[in-house]
Amino acid sequence: MSVSTVRRGVRRPGFSLSLVLPVGFVALVVAAAVIGPQLVGVDPLAQNLLSRNEGPSAAFPLGTDHLGRDVLARLIVGARLSLWTGFLGLFAALLIGGVLGLIATMVRGPFELAFFGAVDLVRAMPGVLLALLLVVALGAGIGPVALALGITFAPFFAHVARATYRREHGMTYVTAARTFGASERWILSFHILPNISGAFVTMAAIILPRCIVTESVLSFLGLGVEPDTPTWGRMIAQAARFLERNPTAVLAPVLALSLFTLSLTLVGDRLRARFDPWRLVGSRS
Amino acid sequence: MREVAALAGLLRAAGLVVGITLLIFLFVRVVPGDVVDLVGIEGGLTDAMKEEMRQELGLNQSLGQQFVLWVGQLAQGDFGLSIRYHRPVADLIARALPTTLQLAALSFTIGLVLGVGAAVAAVTWPRSVWPSVVQALNVWSIAVPTFCAGLLLIFVFVLWLGWMPLLGNLWLASIILGVDVAGQLTKPLHEDLKETLNATFVKTARAKGIRPILVIWRHVLPNSLSVLLSLSGLVLAGLVGGTITMELLFGLPGLGKLALDSVLGRDYPAIQAVAVILAVSVVMVNALVDLLARLIDPRLS
Amino acid sequence: MFRPTRRTLVAWGLGAALLATPALAPALANEPQYGGTLRFATLGLDTADPHRHTGSIAVQQAYAEALTSIADDGSVKPWLAESFSVTDDGTAYTFTLRDGVTFHNGEVMDADAVKANFERIKANVTKGWLASAMKLVDGFEAPDDRTFVVKMQEPYAAFLSLISEAWILSPQSPGWDDTITTPIGTGPFVFGEWTPQVELIAPKHEAYWQEGLPYLDAVHFDLRDAADENALALRSGDLHVARVSRDALPELRADEAIDVQFLKDTTWYFWSFNNRSPNPPFDNLKVREAVALALDKSAYMNFIAGADGIVTNQMAIPGNFYHDADLHASGAHAKPNLTQAKEILAQEGVDPSTVTVEMVSWQTPYAEVAAQMVKELGFDVNHRALDDLGAQNALGAYDWDLAPMASGPRADIFLRFVRFMSDGPNPVLWGGVQDEALDALINAGVTTVDAQERRAIYLKAWQHIMDNYYTVVAGHASNAFGVRDDVGGFTTGFTWSPNRVDGGLAFTHLKPAD
Repeated sequence: MSVSTVRRGVRRPGFSLSLVLPVGFVALVVAAAVIGPQLVGVDPLAQNLLSRNEGPSAAFPLGTDHLGRDVLARLIVGARLSLWTGFLGLFAALLIGGVLGLIATMVRGPFELAFFGAVDLVRAMPGVLLALLLVVALGAGIGPVALALGITFAPFFAHVARATYRREHGMTYVTAARTFGASERWILSFHILPNISGAFVTMAAIILPRCIVTESVLSFLGLGVEPDTPTWGRMIAQAARFLERNPTAVLAPVLALSLFTLSLTLVGDRLRARFDPWRLVGSRS
Repeated sequence: MREVAALAGLLRAAGLVVGITLLIFLFVRVVPGDVVDLVGIEGGLTDAMKEEMRQELGLNQSLGQQFVLWVGQLAQGDFGLSIRYHRPVADLIARALPTTLQLAALSFTIGLVLGVGAAVAAVTWPRSVWPSVVQALNVWSIAVPTFCAGLLLIFVFVLWLGWMPLLGNLWLASIILGVDVAGQLTKPLHEDLKETLNATFVKTARAKGIRPILVIWRHVLPNSLSVLLSLSGLVLAGLVGGTITMELLFGLPGLGKLALDSVLGRDYPAIQAVAVILAVSVVMVNALVDLLARLIDPRLS
Repeated sequence: MFRPTRRTLVAWGLGAALLATPALAPALANEPQYGGTLRFATLGLDTADPHRHTGSIAVQQAYAEALTSIADDGSVKPWLAESFSVTDDGTAYTFTLRDGVTFHNGEVMDADAVKANFERIKANVTKGWLASAMKLVDGFEAPDDRTFVVKMQEPYAAFLSLISEAWILSPQSPGWDDTITTPIGTGPFVFGEWTPQVELIAPKHEAYWQEGLPYLDAVHFDLRDAADENALALRSGDLHVARVSRDALPELRADEAIDVQFLKDTTWYFWSFNNRSPNPPFDNLKVREAVALALDKSAYMNFIAGADGIVTNQMAIPGNFYHDADLHASGAHAKPNLTQAKEILAQEGVDPSTVTVEMVSWQTPYAEVAAQMVKELGFDVNHRALDDLGAQNALGAYDWDLAPMASGPRADIFLRFVRFMSDGPNPVLWGGVQDEALDALINAGVTTVDAQERRAIYLKAWQHIMDNYYTVVAGHASNAFGVRDDVGGFTTGFTWSPNRVDGGLAFTHLKPAD
């Protein structure tokens, strides 16, 4: 169910552009995040008060922002910070939703009821509103923002965990294994976990871009990370005041954020085509 | 059987409303420093005055008592008094609600027309440009967060071309959200329409020689109505987040701006009220959509 | 018996801060037209009860006026009082009220009403600007309808300036006994429909006491306090007059339809240390000196205000009565000196690479410049940039080291000094100074009737503040307003006040479209 669906008729075996481009861009951003800051060698926080809001030049390929900081250097470090915040959020969501959800499903009884009751509540809240309230309660900074993202997106993993567990548990091969005397622990580690992890990976590819976008929205609302943390969202929020004088400083992170989100989603689409966790969740609120 | 399912849906919605109310109530109590402390910082209240204020606000009672009191007031439409402005919160909400409703209604209408139009056109003329439009809308809504789209359009239409004002620009805000809504609706709808098109009864109708466009209007679209309904419910919930950023970007005095201002002003009664209203309306819309979808499409029950 | 003399009056006139800028008389070249609604964007309004305000005072005066008014040159002028006099010892003030002033509800403003307002302020507003003055009050008297007398225990030099913010309202105002919800004042415009953080619609007061004023049918206050967006709205013609961010000035100045004006008094920018419970090594004056040497005032003020920035080491700018030229010239921190700063740190045995400076600020770019300047010394900086209340809360915890902050125009220099007093209102921006010697100096200043003597004492107090590095002034910049060319008669004031004895909204009119 991706862009490629339309071109099914003309698709040749092997590589398709609709997969190569997004995978390439994701790889580029990840590379920038991992080794970029060392390669660039420019301090993304260094201010040049005499060259503020300048357009692209040889010295500053993407120009400077309102504090005379190198936009390109910030974009690259921003890739690292945005990805890092997104991953932390994802990890928190996985822990809170996925792991607790799996345990709750296995334990059953009142804990399952209470846990999934809470999950339903969180899911019923509009995402941005929930994240906003949580950031207010938890405070600013990467840690609190990641935790807020984790709580906001935990329900997705919780539902995937429950649905997959129940489905696999009812499968003939599991019942068969049990009849042959396999312990619950054996069944869990060799039958259920491998299947659940596939579903989790797919869900992660869907949730990661959402985490990154939600962080940028929070930053834009003035509630995200600290000012010396140039995530893409923070960069956009800070440069937006000078949109007219210096559009590059806004458009560069906007473009980076958009392309990255798109690429991740397309990659996620491919994964989803193999295994659709949405079908298990039922809806995508 | 259908009635039982519908009743269960309503009960679930009622449970969620109660739960959300409790959650939001507890959330505000968890935030470090109570309301009075925060007001005290600004207004320079003495300890005696703070104590008096706590009495007045009922903060000295137990959590349970406070919750019962607050829910009791909520049920009567009394949202309490804004700490910052000494105005009834209901009054603040009444002033902000029309803007948000307008923005949401306009965005949703634009999104519905654009999204359904593109999807229907794409199945009607599969070899035209329309399937690409469906793809483009979908890609746009995935890739470009609404606040980024807002900045882009502001740059082009307000700053560069100078065609329109920024503040209070309900139309530009609605178009941005509308395109986003269209992008979310159109692709799943298109897929569903295509599936229906391959269904036996449609093939039969076509075989009878009915014109394709009539087949789509009479047989295919009605069949996808329940899908469209559930999609709409989800999209409406997502619109809540979108209105917050649009109201901020275009200076629209709606609920989103009220929520943000209340958060920045630590105006807890106002935060509680706005959060409850937004969350409860989302639950209600979803319950309603669910109910409607069941009425239209008995297969769901 | 009070003996008002010419000498005391002259002293009061001098005592008020004087600026070089002449008051701009409303330009009435063409006969002003009546009618129209002015769309006016300024700071927000935090409460409908003027006596209880804790935020800005940029709106109140439009509907509520006071006995005195700060003229555009900073001097105190009688307003709802036709005249005032002070006894030689400075302990009794007599106000003769203007005849024929009515509140918006038609009630006559008489001495009893004025007395009721002062009593309400004294009893209910226990902190804030007026609190310290009200504590010194022995009693209020209303011997006849048009005479109001305030008796003080000791002289209080800032009194006449301060009561320009003691708004006189009708005691019939709803909520008078608790929190006023609809203030009924005497101003040229009526407090109409208020939507907090959004707007206030203020229709004309038909029976306004100034003959023939106001010209406008109504003022539509835009209270979103969105200085960035205001500039765009002004250019597109959606606003007539708007407070604008200094960042937007290049574009506004390039627009022929827009005139840029500045408030006459300035906002001052400073770096405060945590004075209430300083952590080592910032409890060491030498270390503070080193930090101050890292502050490049010219670059800092140029960043904030471009060519409009004023660099000085004082709370008052050159040209102000309380500014001291010698002190300005001798400023030890006029220029940054990183070498000297690092030497000092070395002498004091401080290795900056092992020290994290805890910095608290608002979410503003100049704070990031400050952080960068401190980092130049080799310190690590943990910068927390917070929204208004968040910063207030964090500063009040006194677990920080340095705060780059700013503070806006004030009706009297005392209102800047009072922030350094042990029991001063909201002292967190200045690190919560608690210093009895300084308290005594500031008290001596404010109780001194003679202006020159008072100035000398205030200078001593300021020297004391500088010597202790409680706060380091970077400089001053004025707040900007954009005014569209279809607006006539609008002038900015000394403070944010939009309605004053010699200018403001009452005199503003809209030119007919050509």
